[in-house]
Amino acid sequence: MNQKIPIEMIVNGNTIQAEIEPRRHLVDFLREDLGLKGPHLGCEQGACGACTVRVDGQIVRGCLYLAVQANGKVVDTVEGLTAQGVLTALQNAFLRRNAMQCGFCSSGMLLSAAELIEQRPEATREQVREWISGNYCRCTGYHSIVDAIMNVLEAQREQTE
Amino acid sequence: MKAAAFDYIKAQSVPEVLALMSKHGDDARLIAGGQTLLATLNMRLSEPQLLIDITQLAELNGIELSGEHLWIGALVTHTEIENSPLIQKYAPILGAAAPHIAHRAIRNLGTWGGSLVYGDPAAEWPACSLAVNATMVLRGLQGERRVLAADFFVDLYTTALAPDEILMGTEIPLANTKQVFSFQELARRHGDYAIAGLAAVAQKTGQTLTACNFAFFSIATTPVLAKKAQAIVNGQILSTELIAAGVAMARSEIETMDDITNSAAAKTHLVGVLLERALKTMLAE
Amino acid sequence: MELNGEQLIAASVPDVWRGLNDVAILGKAIPGCEAIERISSEEVHAKVMFKIGPVRARFAGKLFLSDVVDEKSCSMAFEGSGGAAGFAKGRSRVELSSAEGGTLVSYTTEASIGGKLGQIGGRLISASAKKIADDFFQAFAKELDPTAKQMLDGGAT
Repeated sequence: MNQKIPIEMIVNGNTIQAEIEPRRHLVDFLREDLGLKGPHLGCEQGACGACTVRVDGQIVRGCLYLAVQANGKVVDTVEGLTAQGVLTALQNAFLRRNAMQCGFCSSGMLLSAAELIEQRPEATREQVREWISGNYCRCTGYHSIVDAIMNVLEAQREQTE
Repeated sequence: MKAAAFDYIKAQSVPEVLALMSKHGDDARLIAGGQTLLATLNMRLSEPQLLIDITQLAELNGIELSGEHLWIGALVTHTEIENSPLIQKYAPILGAAAPHIAHRAIRNLGTWGGSLVYGDPAAEWPACSLAVNATMVLRGLQGERRVLAADFFVDLYTTALAPDEILMGTEIPLANTKQVFSFQELARRHGDYAIAGLAAVAQKTGQTLTACNFAFFSIATTPVLAKKAQAIVNGQILSTELIAAGVAMARSEIETMDDITNSAAAKTHLVGVLLERALKTMLAE
Repeated sequence: MELNGEQLIAASVPDVWRGLNDVAILGKAIPGCEAIERISSEEVHAKVMFKIGPVRARFAGKLFLSDVVDEKSCSMAFEGSGGAAGFAKGRSRVELSSAEGGTLVSYTTEASIGGKLGQIGGRLISASAKKIADDFFQAFAKELDPTAKQMLDGGAT
């Protein structure tokens, strides 16, 4: 099984071409081959959420997604979304509310939170907690992260009123 | 951990998939959402030679009205079900159940068909498919056949799907305005495997339920319909006494199985708790 | 993990005993058995592919018989290595007795499963083991007499 498959994808706005072994996960390809260390490896079973990245506008587990499956797709990591300004309000809120300590979960948290804010703009605190329960944090105890996300939701709701 | 090496092919048609399955047998695995398969491969609990990617098969896509049925293609993701207005209208219990499946990132990729075909005892979709009287559409080299959900889940991780067949999708009778439902799932944390669950669907006229389906999951090796409890409740005014009788019957008729979280006795107790909640919810709808 | 049960097999005690000691029959009855070899009167080696849900774990197993009382009972110690998937170890006791309709096979088993399979699969190990035992006895009864009615009674607990 020496198969290497040619793939092409857009990563953080750049067209990337590569020939890779099918067994490689998207998150490993992004980290090792493209040097994008934003997404992290935690459990490699899809439980902890540290590897969360965005594919075609949706969050996915980078460890439960093969790089070859991303052929023809648009991939965004925390680096790209930061550059695009998509995460600015959330990142500022995280800083203000002290929602980050070691930072290991933060990339995944930000990406999950960004999808929530987009898809569930009316979310309650309880719904925010449920939504981010797929991202584990060992440092903060979660409250500050939820506070930060609620801040952004509330500010957004105030604006649209 | 990283998966062992395998070859990969993105199939372009159903006949191609069937031919590949026939050629490679159990050395090849189908990959759609991959949320169960890739986790399994990462832990080296399986080392297939070949992965056949079926995500390009248009026939397995789509949530569509088709005559008297709602068609849900095998490749439809849990998130698509969660968001679908057709599901809200014609199979609303599925929309209520979807948020209970794992977490959002998993739901964005995991599929209706994948969940049905694995038939994990703790999975939501097998029980829901029983509750809505779904029909599974299977295709193999011999052609296409249909199997009722009630006949599909045979044993632990064993369905009526033959090794040389794939699930194309399901046909679901359309919910009418008289349909009421209740989806209940108990888990220690959101996204955990269910400790016990119930997908209940019925027709309601006044205070009476008919055509009841009470599909329990995570209490045995397959989802289980509480047929005797259904028979007790069907067609009678839903009084406190009737609810209690239905609950008692469900507890006595279902043979529960213990697992890593709870004893069989605890599961039996929870069967009654969930049915009581569901009946009260449906009564109030 | 404990697995205890009894099965009524529509065959005589000598036939069932012979069958349980015949590696050719065991090879056909054990679900997923890919190879089986008798090393000595007390030792059997086998390669079995366990297929449960998404799992495909190939185990290389060894079985050691002891306390053998012909046509009545024996004890077994077994160990199996599943490579990266994990390992299994255990003991079992099997007793045959004459019963109406054939032979009653009673067995008690204690096993521990370690490694990935134990961690991840722990949730369903008991249910899986029961299914494998039930499937084994179905196939075993069929090997002894392909024409006889299937399992008359019994099951694993």
